[in-house]
Amino acid sequence: MAEEAEFKCLRCGHEFIAPYDKENPQEHTCPKCRSNSVRRIKT
Amino acid sequence: MMDVGRHPRIKLLAYSEVEEVSGYVGNFRVKVRKKARYVDEEECTACGDCVDVCPVIMPDEYQMGLSSRRAIYIPFPQAVPSSYTINIEECLGVQPIACGKCAEKCDKGCIDFDMKDEIVELEVGTIIVAVGMEVYDPTLLDEYGYTRFENVITTLEFERLVDSGGPLGGRFARPTDGRVPKRIGFIQCVGSRTERRGNSYCSNICCMNTVKDSLLLRDHYPEIDITVFYLDMRAFGKGFEDLYKRSKDAGVRYVRGLPGEVKEDPETRNLLVTVENTTAGRLEEHELDMLVLSVGLEPREDSKTVQQLLSLSRTSDGFFLESHPKLKPVDTPTRGVFLAGCAEGPKDIKESVTQASAAAARAQIILNQDKIPIEAITPMIDLDLCNFCGRCARVCPYGAIVDVDPKRKVSPRVIEAACAGCGTCSAECPVGAITQRHFGDEQFFAQLEAMLGEGPEEKIVVFACHWCSYPGGDMAGVSRLQYPPSARVIRTMCSGRTGERLILRAFALGAPMVLVSGCHFADCHYINANRWTQRRVERLWDRLERAGIRPERLQLEWISAAEGQKFARVMGELEEMRKKVTPEEIEYTKQVLAEKA
Repeated sequence: MAEEAEFKCLRCGHEFIAPYDKENPQEHTCPKCRSNSVRRIKT
Repeated sequence: MMDVGRHPRIKLLAYSEVEEVSGYVGNFRVKVRKKARYVDEEECTACGDCVDVCPVIMPDEYQMGLSSRRAIYIPFPQAVPSSYTINIEECLGVQPIACGKCAEKCDKGCIDFDMKDEIVELEVGTIIVAVGMEVYDPTLLDEYGYTRFENVITTLEFERLVDSGGPLGGRFARPTDGRVPKRIGFIQCVGSRTERRGNSYCSNICCMNTVKDSLLLRDHYPEIDITVFYLDMRAFGKGFEDLYKRSKDAGVRYVRGLPGEVKEDPETRNLLVTVENTTAGRLEEHELDMLVLSVGLEPREDSKTVQQLLSLSRTSDGFFLESHPKLKPVDTPTRGVFLAGCAEGPKDIKESVTQASAAAARAQIILNQDKIPIEAITPMIDLDLCNFCGRCARVCPYGAIVDVDPKRKVSPRVIEAACAGCGTCSAECPVGAITQRHFGDEQFFAQLEAMLGEGPEEKIVVFACHWCSYPGGDMAGVSRLQYPPSARVIRTMCSGRTGERLILRAFALGAPMVLVSGCHFADCHYINANRWTQRRVERLWDRLERAGIRPERLQLEWISAAEGQKFARVMGELEEMRKKVTPEEIEYTKQVLAEKA
């Protein structure tokens, strides 16, 4: 099962959880505003 | 196939697997594992004496498991070379020989249990990928009862049952009782055009295959009642509509609607199909003797291996991506590698032949040239600046940068014939030693200085890739979509070229907002160069934040050439963000970046 990570949209500020694979980067889209400016929140 | 096998200039390596591909257009080196057949294919006359004595009985894959074969077999009757093969996994044992009856029986002594796999190395100028496809496995679609009811079969199984070379010798019969069915149904779009289970795309061939099958049945068994359950029939090729009409005129019944449920009568083994006929607007129940699932096509399971071997791209549905859907439909992003047939997407025989001919012609063009023209967008490496770190070689999607060795301090070398000019190496070089011809840093800096010379606080700098985002902006324009006039677009060949130096220079010159945009991941024209863009932007967000600059001011967006609306929407959203960037913030950014410069 793919690992998940927390992301923050740098356009609307929405925070969400999405699959994350460091080796194979995925195209991430904010589920709220559809922006691709999505930043992984590093814990 | 026979012609191919006999052609003096075609070397056919059947039962073989490509293990390694290196080099570049005009100079590919291919390592192929020729698997051991344990039968001398030159000597074998396919007399079949060995088969008669082989005691191992296995399901015949070619006949879809509807009949059996032996452990020594010919995969299918027309196979080239026409020579037997021993499946060593199924054979009773060769180390030591446990049975050996085939070897005893073969008068010519063709069987050699000591045969080993052979590695063949080839030097070729071009490569055509024609790996084909697989058929959707309907076991997941339990509502059609494929795993539960014997009289539910797939189109491929149907083909074997009606084939004169099939397990029944061409006498069509249903599996449970061996009698000719009276009523037969076809269900279309099994595993195609569905998001729930299967694939979202149309498999292209299934409608006409069913029309053909229905006419074939009508011709051979006019008494069979045929019903086709469909979503919509797609008869778009030359003569296809006529064939469809012929099928309807021949009495084949077409019911618009896919069955919701299939049950079996335990006594008769007949199938009860419940379907909503959306043309008549009523729920119907059909009793059928046999049901054929018109299964769709899928990319091969090992497509990823081929993708890695040849540095190709694949679309989100897994088929290989062509270089350009209209202008280079058989080329791939790797120069000298071409696509033919269903490797690129589901297609019928005519389309496959057309594409194969085109691919062969494209390959010939290269092979007939002494020199290959390349675009003047390849990188130049300043070896005085290079620190031999090797990052350029690591990020190059084409493996076009070679020789670099950080330990031995060996300089990188660019194979210009292999380079496609994405510019990722130039963007990623930590010491700025790589300049992409016509897309050098200085040229971008000049553009930035020109556009931000006056009133930079009112501008949004957009780096847009040549193939998708820039045409996306064009699309917004030609579609007369309104978007704020603050956008200032700089074209790069790939978003991978948009390096940190360019972005930071834009901020240093007073840009309140910067947008980096490129193709969607599945559409990247440089295999995977835009993955490096994403990594770089993520890195920059961290760096900006550490410097006290809001990372939100750097935005990232994947915009395709067709997404003019998206381009306009994004620019509108960025304009709202731009208005919130204060003059103090811009000044602070300039100051911080000036200190770091």
